[in-house]
Amino acid sequence: MSRKRAYRSKMRILADMMRAIQSEGEEGAGPTKVLYAANLSHDRLKQYIDELLEKELVIEQDPESNNRVYFLTEKGRAFLREFVRIERFSEAFGIEI
Amino acid sequence: MQAELGIIRLDLLFEAISGIIALMITYYATKAYRLTGQKKLSDLSTGFLVLSAGMFGRVVGTLYFITQYGEVGSNLIISIVTIAYGMSRIMAYILFVISTRPTKTHFEQEFQNNTDVSMLLMATFLVDTSLEVLAILVLVVVVLQAVLNYMSTRSKFARYVLVGFFLLLLSHILMAGAETSPGLYLLSQGAQLLGFLSMLVMLIQAGRD
Repeated sequence: MSRKRAYRSKMRILADMMRAIQSEGEEGAGPTKVLYAANLSHDRLKQYIDELLEKELVIEQDPESNNRVYFLTEKGRAFLREFVRIERFSEAFGIEI
Repeated sequence: MQAELGIIRLDLLFEAISGIIALMITYYATKAYRLTGQKKLSDLSTGFLVLSAGMFGRVVGTLYFITQYGEVGSNLIISIVTIAYGMSRIMAYILFVISTRPTKTHFEQEFQNNTDVSMLLMATFLVDTSLEVLAILVLVVVVLQAVLNYMSTRSKFARYVLVGFFLLLLSHILMAGAETSPGLYLLSQGAQLLGFLSMLVMLIQAGRD
């Protein structure tokens, strides 16, 4: 039997991206770091980064520059804290999110 | 007589506390569903909502009929409340079976097998008349799923839920023997309360930063 990859909801993907950005601390994370940490294709990365920016969960430093770096906003940090709580709750009942 | 009333009042207090905890879990599961869109969280939320509605229905119904009419209260209405309470619990437990069903990737099981179990339970639901035995049957499946979940995650949150569901199962087993030994009735209510308290501890710990 082949082992299938676990399904990741959109919220989990966004949370994985934000965790990657958070792990870089004050230096912020570049797109490549986020792409590898969240295990995404380039197209998906752009789509989800745009969504994070639009929802003001992350901010982009110097958008005109080629060297893009992303930082978590306070709203993003609050979202991530809430997501971790919900992740624990769901895990307690064996529900994957 | 005094002792009987004492047991009833303590029973209602335990039931009301359990109902409040069930409502808290409903709120949290609904919040989680709104954020993630995971259908199983919605089923879980509905399950705990049905459970708490049944519990509050029983508390209010028992208080109303026993305190208002005492011993001359309508046996028919008491029976209706009891059956409605039992049915609501079984409905809630079936929802728990569905919502806590292990995913294919965890246990490499065929989806069909799980569906067959649920359908078998539903079929039993239609033909069996003993609500307590039915509740035990459905809860055994819920507890087994909680065991599988705990074994795969080894998380303390999953352990609290496993303990909670196990104590709920124990409360139904004790309740089934309450006719022959009335002391088991209060023990059953105590086990139920402890089960919900275990889930409350999980809620508090999961909500910490």
